[in-house]
Amino acid sequence: MYYPYFIAYIGIGLAISLGVFFWALKSGQFQDQQRARFLPLRDDLESPPSRTSRAHRVEVYGLFFLAVAGLAASAGVLLYALYLN
Amino acid sequence: MEAKPILKYPTATAFCLTSGFWMMVATFYGLLGATELMAPDLTANMGGIVFGRVRPTHVNLVLFGFVTPGLLGAAFYYIPRLLGTGLYSERLGVFTAVGWNAALVALVATLAMGMTQGREYAELVWSIDVVVVVAFLLIFFNFIMTVKQREEPILYVSVWYVLAGCILTACTYILGNVIWRPDSGALVGIPDAILLWFYGHNIFGLLLTPLSAGVAYYVIPRATRNPLYSHTLSLLGFWSLIVVYTHIGTHHLLQVPVPTWLKVVAIVDSVAMVIPVMAFLINIWYTAKGKLGEIHADIGAKFVFTGTIMYFFVSIQGSFMALPDVQRVTHFNNWVVAHAHIGVLGFAGMIALGGLYYTIPKLTGRPLFSRFLADFQYWMVLIGMVGFTIVLTIAGLIQGNAWLNGETVYRVLPEIHVYYVVRAGLGLMIFGSAVLGFYNIVRSVWVGSGAPS
Repeated sequence: MYYPYFIAYIGIGLAISLGVFFWALKSGQFQDQQRARFLPLRDDLESPPSRTSRAHRVEVYGLFFLAVAGLAASAGVLLYALYLN
Repeated sequence: MEAKPILKYPTATAFCLTSGFWMMVATFYGLLGATELMAPDLTANMGGIVFGRVRPTHVNLVLFGFVTPGLLGAAFYYIPRLLGTGLYSERLGVFTAVGWNAALVALVATLAMGMTQGREYAELVWSIDVVVVVAFLLIFFNFIMTVKQREEPILYVSVWYVLAGCILTACTYILGNVIWRPDSGALVGIPDAILLWFYGHNIFGLLLTPLSAGVAYYVIPRATRNPLYSHTLSLLGFWSLIVVYTHIGTHHLLQVPVPTWLKVVAIVDSVAMVIPVMAFLINIWYTAKGKLGEIHADIGAKFVFTGTIMYFFVSIQGSFMALPDVQRVTHFNNWVVAHAHIGVLGFAGMIALGGLYYTIPKLTGRPLFSRFLADFQYWMVLIGMVGFTIVLTIAGLIQGNAWLNGETVYRVLPEIHVYYVVRAGLGLMIFGSAVLGFYNIVRSVWVGSGAPS
């Protein structure tokens, strides 16, 4: 009673996927993979790369501080739970 | 607002604006819901905004109002570029965007009026269901026709992801909403639960995951000016996602009388998700290797890269939570809410915002109105999202252990109240950042209203 919908879905899904997969295989989608890696870069990269400002260094420190604080808090909770409680 | 720029990508622009606007509304509903959990009597007797109506509105708006249009906005920009041709029909695309917004307005109105199918995540009434399905089919049609007239013979992996995401979502939506039964939109008993959770998981997994992966696979190589680490690996990730992801929704029903074989399929495939996840992450992270400075410098790539890190966390969590022993503590409580917020806000939402901020300057041909505001939003969303995760995970563990110990609910509620308070505070922060973000997007799209900072 549960099965028909689900099995139909899995079956149809697999059939369509396989169909598309074999289309891709035949039309050469899996060849020339080295060139495919460069596809996003093919357009002219018109603008110069953006520059990092000094404020971003502060950000890195902030992130670092947050990570350390989070780890320290976790360690504190563990210590408290295990030994001090 | 004198000189309107000539929009070369009207569809992408429309979807970007859609995303920015509905992010405000969606996060407002989230804040409202969080406040109601903190102070349950706040909206007593106010029919339209009781918690039972606010929560589905929040979930559906985040899904269809904020994240999906944001990712689609980027897709409508990069798919023509990757295929070396124009979009098949910009007019059709704009029409879809308008219809999409109409559906969102109808969504808010119907849910506020209490018109709901009462199935978690699949609350929308039948007529809106039909509009959503038609919208996805139209978008798929637009993309597939663009593919057909392409000049680049090879489909880059992002194209695969977007095409699969759109068509699979149309199928998932039809099946999960039991759309062939307009009256109730439901089956009866366990079969309905199976279909509902099939929908509940796939609507995130097969819509947001492929679209987000598509954006990441485009933005990260662009921003770092590196070629993709391995296109073969990305295709492996794509096909394994298609095979594995479709059947894992039943892992929400491990404590329910569902046939064992179905549970086994769900658990095995949930754990097997590590393959597509790692294929994606290894690829993106190796592409970015040694170029973190460039990613840091580009606000769009910064959002996207953070999203991929969150993808790591949420996927590890997800695979473990599908194991029955872990699930006994983590299911049916706030742990899942934390997990959902890492996934939808931390992963897909971050990448959607990244897509917006990467795409908008390309659409308009001008830099972003304010890089500072975008950075500010980045930090507000990041801190808010991580904060959600921490407080809701703690609350969830309290609830889950209390449940296993057989404690009553009323004893537990006061214990988790403080976490609800913190969560509402963080929600206010995210709502504030969404307002700033919408302002930034609008000012970026319409020139003549101020100098960029």
